[in-house]
Order: sequence, then C-alpha cells, then structure tokens
Amino acid sequence: MSEVIATNQTILVAGGGISGLTAALEAAECGKQVILVEKGPTVGGRVGQLYKYFPKLCFPTCGLEIQLRRLKANKNVRLLTMAEVTGISGEAGNYTASIKLSPRYINENCTACGECGKAVEGEYDDEHNYGMKKRKAAYIPYNLAYPQRYVLDPRAVGTDDGERAKAACKYNAVDLDMQEETLELNVGAVVWATGWKPYPAAKIQPYGYDRYDNVITNVEFERMLDPFGPTGGKIVRPSDGVAPKNIAFIQCAGSRDRNHLKHCSRICCMASLKQTTYVAEQLGDACKSTVYYIDIRAIDRIDDFYQKVQKDPNVSFVKSKVANIVSGSNGNVVLNGVDTEGYNRYANDHDLVVLATGMESTVPQGVFPEGTVINEHGFIDLEESNGAIFGAGCSSDALDVNRAAQNATAAALRAIQVVTKVAAQEG
Amino acid sequence: MSEKKIGAYVCSGCGIGDRLDVNQLVNTAKRDGKANEVKDHPFLCSAEGVKLIQDDIDNNGVNRVVIVGCSRRAKTEAFSFENVAITRANIREGVLWVRPDAPEHAETTQEMADDYVRMACAEIKYMGIPSGSGEQDLTRHLLVVGGGISGMTAAIEASKTGYKVELVEKSGELGGMVGKMYKRVPTKNGLQGPVDTGIAAMVAAIEADANITVHLNSTVSKTEGAPGRFDVEIATESGSTNNVRVGAIVQATGFKPYDMSQLPELGAGNADVVDQMGFEALAKAAAGGAIKRPSDGKEVKSVAFVQCAGQRSDKPGHLNYCSGHCCTTSIKQAMYLREQNDATAVVLFDDLRTPGATGEDFYRCGQEKGVTFSKGQVSGVAAANGGLEVKFKDLILNEETAMEADLVVLATGMVANSGPNPYLALDLEAAKAAEDTAQVAVLEKQIEVAPPSILNLQYRQGTDLPHLKHGFNDSHFICFPYETRRTGIYAAGPVRRPMDAHQAVEDATGATLKAIQACENAALGRAAHPRSGDLSYPSFRKEGCTQCKRCTVECPFGAINEDEKGYPQYNEGRCRRCGTCMGACPVRVISFENYSVETVGQQLKAVDMPDEFSEKPRILVLACENDAYPALDMAAAKGNTYNPWTRIIPVRCLGSTNTIWITDALNSGYDGVILLGCQKGDNYQCHFVKGSEIAHIRMSKIDDTLKSLNLEQERVQTYEVSIADIDRIPQILDDMASTIEKIGMSPFKF
Amino acid sequence: MSNQIEKYRRSFLSEVEANVEEGDMVKMCMQCGVCSGSCPMQNHWEHPPQEIFMMIRAGKREEVLSSSSMWMCTSCYNCIARCPRGLPITHIMHGLATYAKRLGLVPKEQPTAKFGQMFWDNLSKKGRVNELKLGLALYFMNGIGPGIKKSLEMQDVGMGMMKTGRMNPMEILGGHSIKDTAGFSKMLAKAFEIEEGNIKNNG
Repeated sequence: MSEVIATNQTILVAGGGISGLTAALEAAECGKQVILVEKGPTVGGRVGQLYKYFPKLCFPTCGLEIQLRRLKANKNVRLLTMAEVTGISGEAGNYTASIKLSPRYINENCTACGECGKAVEGEYDDEHNYGMKKRKAAYIPYNLAYPQRYVLDPRAVGTDDGERAKAACKYNAVDLDMQEETLELNVGAVVWATGWKPYPAAKIQPYGYDRYDNVITNVEFERMLDPFGPTGGKIVRPSDGVAPKNIAFIQCAGSRDRNHLKHCSRICCMASLKQTTYVAEQLGDACKSTVYYIDIRAIDRIDDFYQKVQKDPNVSFVKSKVANIVSGSNGNVVLNGVDTEGYNRYANDHDLVVLATGMESTVPQGVFPEGTVINEHGFIDLEESNGAIFGAGCSSDALDVNRAAQNATAAALRAIQVVTKVAAQEG
Repeated sequence: MSEKKIGAYVCSGCGIGDRLDVNQLVNTAKRDGKANEVKDHPFLCSAEGVKLIQDDIDNNGVNRVVIVGCSRRAKTEAFSFENVAITRANIREGVLWVRPDAPEHAETTQEMADDYVRMACAEIKYMGIPSGSGEQDLTRHLLVVGGGISGMTAAIEASKTGYKVELVEKSGELGGMVGKMYKRVPTKNGLQGPVDTGIAAMVAAIEADANITVHLNSTVSKTEGAPGRFDVEIATESGSTNNVRVGAIVQATGFKPYDMSQLPELGAGNADVVDQMGFEALAKAAAGGAIKRPSDGKEVKSVAFVQCAGQRSDKPGHLNYCSGHCCTTSIKQAMYLREQNDATAVVLFDDLRTPGATGEDFYRCGQEKGVTFSKGQVSGVAAANGGLEVKFKDLILNEETAMEADLVVLATGMVANSGPNPYLALDLEAAKAAEDTAQVAVLEKQIEVAPPSILNLQYRQGTDLPHLKHGFNDSHFICFPYETRRTGIYAAGPVRRPMDAHQAVEDATGATLKAIQACENAALGRAAHPRSGDLSYPSFRKEGCTQCKRCTVECPFGAINEDEKGYPQYNEGRCRRCGTCMGACPVRVISFENYSVETVGQQLKAVDMPDEFSEKPRILVLACENDAYPALDMAAAKGNTYNPWTRIIPVRCLGSTNTIWITDALNSGYDGVILLGCQKGDNYQCHFVKGSEIAHIRMSKIDDTLKSLNLEQERVQTYEVSIADIDRIPQILDDMASTIEKIGMSPFKF
Repeated sequence: MSNQIEKYRRSFLSEVEANVEEGDMVKMCMQCGVCSGSCPMQNHWEHPPQEIFMMIRAGKREEVLSSSSMWMCTSCYNCIARCPRGLPITHIMHGLATYAKRLGLVPKEQPTAKFGQMFWDNLSKKGRVNELKLGLALYFMNGIGPGIKKSLEMQDVGMGMMKTGRMNPMEILGGHSIKDTAGFSKMLAKAFEIEEGNIKNNG
C-alpha cells in the first residue's frame, strides 16, 4: 500500500456508508483533503444491502454508483478499507488517529478477474445477506462493491483454500502473509459516520425470532427482494420456501422501548410501508399485509406514501404493540395482543412475520478524547466540548437516507471550518 | 494543443489473451484505428503496464490514450493520466464476460472485440482535452435570501468558513418564525423541555460579524449570471438598490402558516381558536407568566391541541402532507401551559410523530410534565358555556366525546414561501404557440395567483427555483438532498421541505456547504454533481445555428439563455454537462471538447458492417452511463450473456442522444437500435431530471425516419431501465436479436 | 364529579397521581397496549390496564374506581416486564384498587375485594392469620349451602394441612395471637392515622 499522507488540515471520515461517503465527497469537492476509513472490504454501508428506497422505490445502487464515480474521480479522497479507527487523541485542529488495517489478503494488483473465487472451495455465511446464504472464501461482497477487489476470508488463510487462491491468481494479488497494521495519522477534524446496526431481534424474547423460522427482520426481508439475494428475489417463508399469504409487520421491534432501544428509529415505519408495496407488487391479491404499530411516523411530504398504502385493500393497520408470538400450525405463528383502538383482543394467525427492528448506534466507547459526549442513546450530539469530532448520519441520530445525507453534508462543513482555520493559522 | 497522437494499449490479462487474438486486436488498432503507438501487455493495470503508457505520454508525444481491456468503470485509479484524453475499448465486461467460452463463438466474439477497438480509436480522434474556461474568479461571497433561523444559520456558517454574505430579509428584522416564538424544541437532550430560541444570540453574532451584510426591508429584484458570477440587485423598501456580485445563493425563505380561516369547522374565527404561531404570540406576551386567552384575558386552564388541522387530508383546500414539526411544537406549547398555567393541556393526535432519539425523548418529557395525549379525531370546535367545546372521537376508548377548553390551538401546516413555478411562463409560451386557448386560459389563471418572484432570475427558464411537490423547492433525489435544478442556488429550511427548526439548522448548514462548493467549482470551471469535476462544457458553432431555441428550452437546468437575436448563451457555471442541448440541436452545432455528435457518430460508423446475407446483424445500443452501463457491467460480472451482434456506446444521459445517430445507424446498415435510459415521469430517476423523458419524446418522432427508409418500427426501441436491471437488460438486447431474426436484416448495408 | 366539564381535565389524573401508589406514572402511558396483550387475565376484565390509563386521562372517575378490572390483577408482573415506558402497572392496579376501596366505590360482591377485607379482618384481630377461620369464612361467604359444599370439596386439603401442622382445628375457638396485641393495635391505629392524614392533605 502506498503511503497515507495526512496533516492537521486533513479531515478524517470514519465510515464508508452513505453518510461517510457523502461527507467525504462533499468536503473533497470543496478542495479539502479527506481520508475515508471503512471497516469492511467495500464502501456502501447499509444502503448497499437495501433493495429499494422509500418513497420513490428507486434502487440505492443508482445513487451509490454516482458516489463511486465521484470517489474514483477525486484525488482529494484517500479511501482505506478493512480499516478501523481505534483511537483518537488531541484536540480540534490537531488530532492523532490510530487506524487498524486488517489484512484483506488480496492486494491492489487484483483485477477482479474472478479466478481465485473459482478456485477456492470453502464457503462461509455471507455478511451482505445477513447470513441467509453462503459465499465463497474468496469473494466480492456484492455487485457494486468498491474497491472492485476480491477479499480472502481470514479463515481460509493457512488452509488449502488460501493456497488455491494464491495459485489461481496470475497477478500476484493474493498475499497470504499480509499482516494487521496500525497507522497513526495526524488530522484536523473528524466526521464520525459509522452508521447503525439492526437491533438484535432475538433479544425481543416474546417475538421468538430465534425460535420460529418464519419470524424474520426487516433487513432480512430487504435481502429477499434482491434478485441476487438468498431467494433470488422471491418473497418466501424460510420454513418451506412457499410464498406467504398473510404477512405481519411488527413496528417498534426493539425501538421506543426502555427494555431495548429507548429511541424511535425513525425509518422503520416507512420501511414497513415500503415493504408492503413489495408484497403488493410481487404477490398481489394473493397476500395480505398487516402492520401492527403504535404511531405511523411517515413524516413530512412523504406522508402521501402512507396514504397510498392505506388505500390498498390488502394492507391493514392495527394500533397495537404485539404482546407475543406463539407457534401455530403448519409453520404459521399466532400473534397475541390487543388492538388498542377500542380494546379488541386478537390472536391472529400469520404465515410470515417481519420484525421492524430498530437502529442501534455503532458509536464506540473508548475511542474518542476525554470530554467527547456520547448521549444515552449512543449518538454524538453537536457539542462544544466535542471539539472537532462531528457525528454524521446515524451516528448523530436515527435518520433516514435523505436526512443522513443532509446531516453528513452539514458535518462536512463543520469539519471544513476547522481545517480552514488551521490553514489560515499556518498561512 | 499539439497534434493528436493516439496510443492504443491492449491488455491481454483477465483471460483476454486466452480467448481473443490479441495480435489481431493490435493490428485492428493500427490498421483501422490508425493509432500511432500500439502496444500490448499481459497485465496492463500493473505498475509496469501503467508505466508503459506513461512513458509513451512523456516521451513519444501520445496525447490520446485508448485502453483496450476492462470497462471504464474498472481500474480507474491505474488508468488515470493527466493532460491526455482517455477512452476505453471495453472488451472484458463488454465482450469476454458476456460471451460463452466455446469455439463456435470465437469468431463472433473476436469480431465484437475488434469493433470495440475500432470504435474507441474512432472516438478518441474526435476527443479533445477539456480544460476549464478559466474565465472566472473565485467569488467567496454568498447571497442568502431570508433572515429566519435557516438564513441566519447559512450566513453564520458561511462566515465561519471565510465567506462574505449578503443576507436579505424582507421584513424589518431578523429572526423569522422562530424569532416570533417564546421558546423552541431542544436540538439535543430532548428531556430538558423547551429551550431558548437562541435567535437573539444569532442576531447579535450577525450584527457583530464583519463578513455579513444585512439588508432589512429588502428583496432581490434581479439575479443575473451563473455560479461564481451572479450579479444581484437588492432593492430596499425605500426604493434604493444595491448591486453585489456573489458566487452562489442560499434561498431560505421559510414558510407561512396555513391560512386557518379555511377551517371554520375547527372553530376558526373564534378569538380563542388560534394556530401554533398565534399561541406562540400569547406565550411570548405572557413572558413566563400565566398565558391568557385572547377573548377576555382570562388565564387559560384547559387547552386542546388539534393535530393535523387542515393537513394530511385530501379535502379541497387542505394540505395533503404532514408538516413534520407540529407534533413536537404542540408538545412544547403544552409544556408552557403545564409550567406557567398549571393547566390541562390535551394533545389530540392521529399518529404522534416525534421521530428519532431527540423526538422520542421530547415526547416522554411532555408526558412527564403532565401533558395529556389522546388518540382522537376532532370533528368540530364550537363556542359553548363561555368557552369552547371540542368534539372528537376518542379512538382508544372508541367513543364520540367532547371536552371543554378555554383555548384551542390548531396545529396547521407549513406552506412553502417559494417563488412562482418557473415553468408556467414557458408552458404559456408553448400553449400560445400551439394556439391552445383552453390551456392558455388555465396557465394565465395560474400565473395570476402565483406568488411574487423571490430571486427574479434573468433565466430563459423562469425567475425562480422549480417546485418539486406541494410548492416546495425540494430535491427529487433521496441520496442527494441538495440536488438542484438551478446550479449554485440551494433551497434550505422549510421552503425545501416541511421541517422543524432543528432540521432547518442542519439543512441550512448543508446548503451552505453546497453553495461554497458551487463557488469553488465555478472558479475552476468544474461541473457540480453528478458529473463532479468535469471540465468539459458545451459550445456551439454560431454560423450553423438556426436560433430554433430547442436547446434553451430543453436544458433541464435552465443553463442557457438567449441573446436578443435568439442565439444561445451558455453559462458554464450553471451547466451540468449532460448534453441534453447537444441532443436537442437539429443542426448539430453543439458539442463538448470530449463528447460530441462526432465522438458517438464516428464510433457507430467505425463498426465493421457485415453484408445483408452474412446472418450477422448489428445492433446499436446507446446506454445511459449512469445506470444502464453499470448494470451491463454488473450483468457481465455475474456471468449473464447476450448476443454478439450488440455494439454498446455509453452516453452521458439519454437526453444527449441526437437523432442523427439513429438516422446514421439506420443508414449505415444497423439492423436495430436500442436506447437505454432511466425512469421518467413523476418518480423520475434520470440524474439529469428530464433527459430520459426528452429522449423518449424525440424517439417517438423517429417513426417518420423509419417510414421514409421503409424500415420496420420495431428496429428502434427505447427503454426505461434501472441500475438493478442486471437480468433484464441482457434480455432486452436478446429480444432485439430475435426481432431482427423475425423481420430480417436491414437492406441498408453497403 | 365526572361531568362534561371534567372530561379530559387533569382533575382525576391529579387525584390518581396524589392518592394512588405510583399513580404519577399513569401519564407516561403511550397506549401501545402491550400490557393488555401480555396479561394472563385478559379474558377476565372489562378494562385492560392501558384502557384504564386512558379512562383516567379522560376523567372517567366513577367508571374507573367502581370497575372490578384492577381487582383482577394477580401480580404476575408480565405487564411491568414488557411495558416500554417502564410503568409499574401491577402496583398502579393495586393502588387503584386500594383507593377505590377507601372511597367505598368497590362494586358490591367483588370477590377479590371481599376476600381482601376478610383477610384484613382476620389478620388485624390477633396479628396473625387464622387459617381455619379465614378458610371457612371464605367458603361460607355466599351462604350456608355453597359453604358446606365447598368445605367438603376442600376436605382433603384441610386434613393435609392439619397433619403437617399448618392448621390447628382448635383455632376455631379463637386461636392464638401474637405476643403484644395491644401494641399491634396501636401500630395499626397509627398507620391508619397517618394514611388518613395523607388522604386529607391530598384531597
């Protein structure tokens, strides 16, 4: 790897999802030097795992492609993948960031020709598909992954598969001796945009995510729709691969709940509404959707999306936090609870349940300088005492894609202000 | 620029050398492509391969580079050379990976690859090296229109970044709507309850800031120019004017409250029925003491907040959207009452919308302070027993009921303070030209009731930012909230989208970055997103121009003005380099240095055309480089295949497609033509807004050409595709091959 | 008190906040209904907890306090465990019941209330529970006939308790008491006085 150059006029962006990409590109297109650090092997983040965006029902890869083109064209951004910020010390205008680089075992020589992928035999759970399918030991995470380079699973190193991959590569790109490295970089400001992870659904014990095959999460449902996903784009019950006829969407599965996440995750209402349109499109009248909710938060001008879904006779809404899920017949499950509009108890049979699991912040503890405030929900507020460490996207609050990009653009300006000041002082 | 010297570099790696005759590719580049230097390498993207090319650039005068290998989307870091024009002959994703590896296909696969070499060499001959116009200076100066919290934020943030600001406010004071409030919802730690608005501090900061010039009682009476060189005339109420040059503009003109007089059923007209801003005025007057009702000055003891009043409803005159802030605003106001009046404050809502961490905290805070929440549908508010009676259905208790209140607050929505829809005037012009009197009447009526202009842009395409929906100047893109159809002008705050003060501050900060970026781009002649950094820009041959005005009308970004004779005037800074003007031009006088009627036309003509009896048809595909082309690359990477007759040319946007390409293709013997663009219509996904739509319109007129050539209509097909159509696009290509098989080869082969 | 004027006023809510154990948490309910759905007794009550909380906000004083719903709570704590807002629902239910009892608004023939009174009467006399008397009083609560029937049904249980020394037949004669019954009575009187004072102060 070529040398990474950074100074106290450089902006460090942690996280290569939509927020980090946006912050990095907006700052770079203002002429600033940016180091973009991504933990995984590819940029794109959570949005790369989504099938479509609400409310336009367009494909996330469409916008990602533009971001990637901006990234490829801009020499102000240095992208480091398989890299994690493990510590930041110092103060605004002069931070030292420690960055751990994990071995990819495939170097920049890789042409993505695919020979190593053909040569290896081992298969592992595919992270891009939340483990719903397998991938090879040498792989490209997904169609639009960038950098367009293979990754060798560390578990294959030291096995025959590692050797197979190495032997198959004509370009000397497989480097089984690659080691973990640590970089110490001087930077002037930090935009923290490590995004979110789905709340672990199994923790919501009464919903039996770990007990019932046909109880899945909203992010898994997204993967089902991808033509290259685990089901080839088909909506099916995991238990038997049959198309469901009666799906339940359970809102606030882990959000707005002091037992789980206290905060509202903002996106899940719109996400479920969007997913009912997938059902309508693919299964038509053959499948009903029921949304169990506390409040439908289809905020601002996209309320019309909610209105459109409400008009679909195959979609119904029940104001209720589902109490529990029990086993039914034929792989079905029974949802118990009370429709609070008029106190109607129900025990509803559904053949597939989608838990609208919330967003959990991934802002780490112990990485930032003393005095950096992380609020009780795990988000970074805009605080004077945070110096030049700015939360962006879902590191600042639970946000949808549009607001995350908006917020990341604002965070980029805040970082620019710091490094501009440094530049002025240094003349 | 010195003489063009072409270097073609053939990579034989990634299996290319195993399946294709690389020597033949080299010969094709030499013989047909007329390349001056042709070299091959087994691993062209390696340091050694790259050095081979760089050496030719440095030592052999090569200034036009053709990479014969992978797609232009791959290995971009390796193949990025300064001060030369570069193109690719995509024989990896475009040939090798989409063709089966079998001896019976070897011939046609080789033909495909040879054609791509010819095409790339033909293209590069007509490509120049774009360089910024260099006409512009860096103007570190912004115009911010609107002195509310959004505009003040933009001004302060711009100043902090070293920019000067002209801040124009229509009224006599800064502060806007938030300035009229008693307190505001906190931006963090929602459990703390309402906080100081911070407006006084912002006003003080602005007054003390030498970078910011405030123009009160002022409006923008004229805006001319382009990013980097907007000339703005600011008119004050007194009649004087100021002229300033700014680099970019933030429009933060906010909102006005919905006219509640349209809600008589909810008690509008009764003095004790107020909207949220009306209630803020009462709270501000109370200054921390007990809030009194307007009718008789009685201290209020019970107040009902009616959420979604006149909004989220498709009734005529209502707002058919959610204004986003009203739930938290009512909670905040109910908290005033709890603390200052010890009053009952009931929020009657349908869905309580307090999203995110701060939002939900604030809801809990309201509950802790004793605000009463009820899921209720209000049917009427009327005077009763010296107060008001609010009739509603309690949805939880499932009963029609009523409560008495001293005061009722209607949570009405936000109406954007945007300028008039700029396209009305153009549409009127078109309707008049078409002598459509009914449409003329409709449009004249719309123009009559339209609000006054805010920016007074001296643009061919109207005076203001285009509306997206419900009168808001929003971006249409989820990923790009600051996409704008008027480059260098960014809407921020509730004029862009309904939003609360916290969002408005974030939004204004983001918009300020985009405005600053527009200045920096303009100074270097660089394009804004999505062709960020592109230095090419259109120019036209005046002697050929017929002043037909199609380019000025069709430009999705209003970039082209007309001079008094009707010739187009390009504004580099406003231009997004999509080429829609180039596609529009019937006399083909518009071109970019590196993208023109010739660069595409010569490619399609460079394809070796087998004769009519060869059973080898040729299909020309013009594919949008933003979505269709990446989808083709991904299809290749996934191992999808398609027929070997297809020759694909990426275009900047389908809107840049000039019909001459289609005519030329048909005349030179192509058997089919496919155009692949993005989704058009209301949910358009075209990155250049109208490109795909315009292309579809143009192609609907190609039928005449087909008729005159006596060719079947099926030979030209236009599709809306997406980047996810990885399986569908190869199918579309094969469908055309089947169609040709059915209807026969084109007779126009020479 | 529950009239048009008081509907959705805070008066009853304030009354509950002041007089009912943890009644100040009622306002935190967001009507998700998970308590009602989680309650094992849900088929047995007229108004589930979340509805009771809404009725309190709506000012339905009589309907709430004279409801038998809160008497149905068996203290399983499912609702507390599940409540996303952390309302101590079980405690509030018992608090409401106690308050209703104090005001004399308990529905007549409410079995849980009756049993509660018997238990108290039994306990307060001698400072400890007289199992035999309590059992018999409970069986004969609804008259002699049903009492005999119930006693015969429970015969085996009674014998078992006697055998293991959990119940002494001699207790029918009065039974033994704690050492200082006078002191115990004084304590109860004092507690009663304090509570009365609280009630008076809170209105």
